[in-house]
Amino acid sequence: MRITVRVIGGLALRLGFTSQEREVPSGTTAGRLLADLGVGDPQTVITTRNGWGIAPDELLGEGDRILVSPPFSGG
Amino acid sequence: MNGWTGQILRVDLTAKTWRREAFTEEFAHTWIGGRGFAVKLLYDELRPGIDPLGPENKLVVAVGPISGISAPNTGKTVVAAKSPMTGGYGDGNLGTRVTEKLRKAGYDALIIEGRAEAPTLLYIDDEKVEFLPADEVSGKGTYETNDWIYARYGKGAGVLNIGQAGENLVRYAVIRSMEGRAGGRPGMGAVMGSKLLKAIVVKGSRPIPQAFPAEMKVLGRDDLRAVHALDQKSGWSKQGTTGVLPWCNEVAALPVDNFRRTHHPEAWKVDGERLEAATVAVYGCPNCTMQCGIAMHDDRGRESELDYENMGLLGPNLGIFDIAQVATLNYMCDDYGIDTISGGGVLGFYADAVARGAAPGSLRFGDFKGFEAVLTAIAHRDGEVGGVLAEGTLRAARAFGHDSEEYAMQCKGLEVSAYNCKFIPGMALAFGVSPIGAHHKESWIISYEIQQTPRESYGRDKAQKVVDLQRIRGGLFEAIVSCRFPWIEEGWGLEHYPKYFNAVTGLEWQLEDFWPSSDRIYALIKLFWLREFPDTDRKADYPPHAWFDPANADTEGPIAGKILEYDKYDALLQHYYDIRGYDGRGIPTRETLARLGLAAEARAAEAFAALS
Repeated sequence: MRITVRVIGGLALRLGFTSQEREVPSGTTAGRLLADLGVGDPQTVITTRNGWGIAPDELLGEGDRILVSPPFSGG
Repeated sequence: MNGWTGQILRVDLTAKTWRREAFTEEFAHTWIGGRGFAVKLLYDELRPGIDPLGPENKLVVAVGPISGISAPNTGKTVVAAKSPMTGGYGDGNLGTRVTEKLRKAGYDALIIEGRAEAPTLLYIDDEKVEFLPADEVSGKGTYETNDWIYARYGKGAGVLNIGQAGENLVRYAVIRSMEGRAGGRPGMGAVMGSKLLKAIVVKGSRPIPQAFPAEMKVLGRDDLRAVHALDQKSGWSKQGTTGVLPWCNEVAALPVDNFRRTHHPEAWKVDGERLEAATVAVYGCPNCTMQCGIAMHDDRGRESELDYENMGLLGPNLGIFDIAQVATLNYMCDDYGIDTISGGGVLGFYADAVARGAAPGSLRFGDFKGFEAVLTAIAHRDGEVGGVLAEGTLRAARAFGHDSEEYAMQCKGLEVSAYNCKFIPGMALAFGVSPIGAHHKESWIISYEIQQTPRESYGRDKAQKVVDLQRIRGGLFEAIVSCRFPWIEEGWGLEHYPKYFNAVTGLEWQLEDFWPSSDRIYALIKLFWLREFPDTDRKADYPPHAWFDPANADTEGPIAGKILEYDKYDALLQHYYDIRGYDGRGIPTRETLARLGLAAEARAAEAFAALS
């Protein structure tokens, strides 16, 4: 499956990229993707799929747009 | 009394007199400081119904027991008064050297009463209090005023000042300090202006009373280093709060064109990544470990400090996607001393009202030059439109008519911060029940809601989370007076704050010991509002109608066709009231007030409206 991953804020510094298209095997969960990206604990980031929250155990789908954000508490 | 100086400085600008007043240990332990001191003092001393821009209003400047202590992010001060925007209780906090200096001068709070005869600078230096002329900077912006003060008193002095907006009684004028700090969204700058108080300068030389100063010194030093190291690792301060903009755009929570839209394909042009690339300087509050005052040059080469709120509301909310233009509007707000959130909200509302034929003029979304001109008119109250818009969105909507109040993006008269809650029920509740009008500082539930709950849910868990966050953000941090950013952004646990509190006070409080005082503060703020608006009902805790309007639903994107629903919101609101122990109007019951030790305050309120 081909997905798009975007990383924002200071997290991009740590993970080393801001945006990339990525090939992942069918059956990949959000948690697996985060682990592959180098995010140790999925609870330490905010992850969305196509604008909606996604839990670590949810399966990714073809063409998904994943955004990974560090924790924020507002402006 | 360790942890507190035990003294309040009361200043009368009319009589040019001042006196020191002692407060008791019981007062300190009950109200902690900051917002707690402010609401108690204002509740006890302000007669309901007074003109917030008249001499009877009082401005309170209050710090907390850990304020100014050398520990992470303790450089903030609370400013409070009856709000000219809402008519209810209003406050805000800002980073300033006043925090440390006021305590070193020997005070935990400053109460400013009356009205000066001419523009005045209030100068406090330990035992000395002087009323000095400020004619030289009358009519000047906050940057020039700040420089003028620095030239006379040195850069180490604590300074609070206002710009033209405060002097001209723009109802959402803020108080400014240092290079780019601002606070007091609900018109605290206008209250200063109404008193002809152009600036406050504070110096102090005495030690802040602490129970265990040696231990606190080591603890503070180590923790300052630790939080700074966390920030180095997280990289948060590279973009500061602006890092959240692309997330808001992605989840359809960005205000675009007066909140009409929730996302925009060009939002990336004004996001944190662009700001990081354009950074020319970074500023922070005293004792800051993670400076978020990220400055870039505006389109005239001036340093402009941007954060998410002003980026969102002076950018996409106005249909502007040129970051230098956003920086210019932000610079203008800062120099005039206009709140950037309300400023952006008012400008967006006006463009919307013009587009719908409800207001005169030719302003259009995206018209940068037009927004510049209107902002200047607001700051000086020039012309009919400038004067009306200087009153804020709600009053402007009532002046324009044509049902424009339906898209006035405000709660209780205060403009909504930069989170578009068209389909985010919990965050909409957070705005609705914010005790000073719509403000994100009280309970930022949005990321929890998107990530950990079904977005469409109106469940009790969301109301509980709003209460939990209010206790922490609006109760703990606003009372001990400390910046909240280390907590979430750097993962600096809340357990650290009782350690600081105990080291300076000598008490042995646990985190949960703060929650009763937090609830007490929120309850007393409610009573303050009740006295001002005895006929209030739960509708006062509703967010803007536009978020419920089917005609305003997105037509594409993640939440296409989705909006909030009134009956479900009302049920969510009831959950909040039930958890808080409030009645169906949103007022604390007698039982709740008694439990919080507010029986006397309840009796005072009952002279104006019945309690349940």
